[in-house]
Amino acid sequence: MRLRIYRYDPDSDRGPHMQDYTVEPEADDRKLLDLLVRIKSFDDSLSFRRSCREGICGSDGMNINGRNGLACLTSINGLAEPVTLRPLPGLPVIRDLIVDMTQFFAHYKAIKPYLIEKAPPPDRERHQSPEEREKLDGLYECILCACCSTFCPSFWWNPDKFLGPAALLQAYRFIADSRDGATAERLDYLDDVYRLFRCRSIMNCTEVCPKGLSPSHAIEQIRQALLARSL
Amino acid sequence: MRVFSGQVPWLLQRLTALFLIAALLVICVVIFLGLLPDYSSWKAFAKSGHGATIIFVSYLAICTHAWIGARDVLLDYVKPISLRLTLLVAISLLLTATAIRLLLILGAQLPV
Repeated sequence: MRLRIYRYDPDSDRGPHMQDYTVEPEADDRKLLDLLVRIKSFDDSLSFRRSCREGICGSDGMNINGRNGLACLTSINGLAEPVTLRPLPGLPVIRDLIVDMTQFFAHYKAIKPYLIEKAPPPDRERHQSPEEREKLDGLYECILCACCSTFCPSFWWNPDKFLGPAALLQAYRFIADSRDGATAERLDYLDDVYRLFRCRSIMNCTEVCPKGLSPSHAIEQIRQALLARSL
Repeated sequence: MRVFSGQVPWLLQRLTALFLIAALLVICVVIFLGLLPDYSSWKAFAKSGHGATIIFVSYLAICTHAWIGARDVLLDYVKPISLRLTLLVAISLLLTATAIRLLLILGAQLPV
């Protein structure tokens, strides 16, 4: 199988280049990550992140044949050759397929991704009805792989100001949580020309989310919550 | 609702779009039913108080919608603040000038 991989080592390369590899999948190779690990066995200079190899850690997000995805969830069957692998677009490249996610996680931190409860804590657990818990489905599953945000043109245009689909999905995850007591503050923070309203409903985020989530729907829900509050 | 929020222009853009879609549909119906069949009847409509008001309000909706759209493009693509501000002011002046010109044309017919 032929692969064409983006290579860049800032310590030795003048600029990025594409390197071709040919590797024969073995019987138990199913996913693209299996091939990358196989390449790594004979070219240990190739750098990429990976950890759980089953779509939970979100480490191996990359651009695969022009579309963001997780190497560990991408089946090698049906991939057009040469399989072109590039780092996630829109983020600074540290080396090869590894990007600097500082900005991405700064946006995540900015939305305060934890429950804020102003009332005194109850003696026992905070109750949540099954219906209230159901509202978190499709939100809490996000693994922060950054496939959505780095495939969003609005994020490319304003990466430092627009929070991006991943952070906004997480923001709505806490707005929708019945146990959270800071909805007003969260909405105040998001009601900004850049943070939320740079989203143009292009919906690339929903298109590429490897977990099948819909950040664009979450963004729409935030807009509706803002509207409901205004009215 | 905060005056300088992201929501106000977002909402205005959608409300003006809905208004313009409705206005466009009305124009289509008027043309399809032949209610204003010729130039002189359209001219008479524009000279009536209601007609002049509808035309002017529609144009204000177009100006608002266009300015927010242009602002969105400039926020995305034009990074130097001074250049962005210059372009925003230039677009505002252009739209205001055309609205004033329309006001002068329709002025006598407007109810206020």
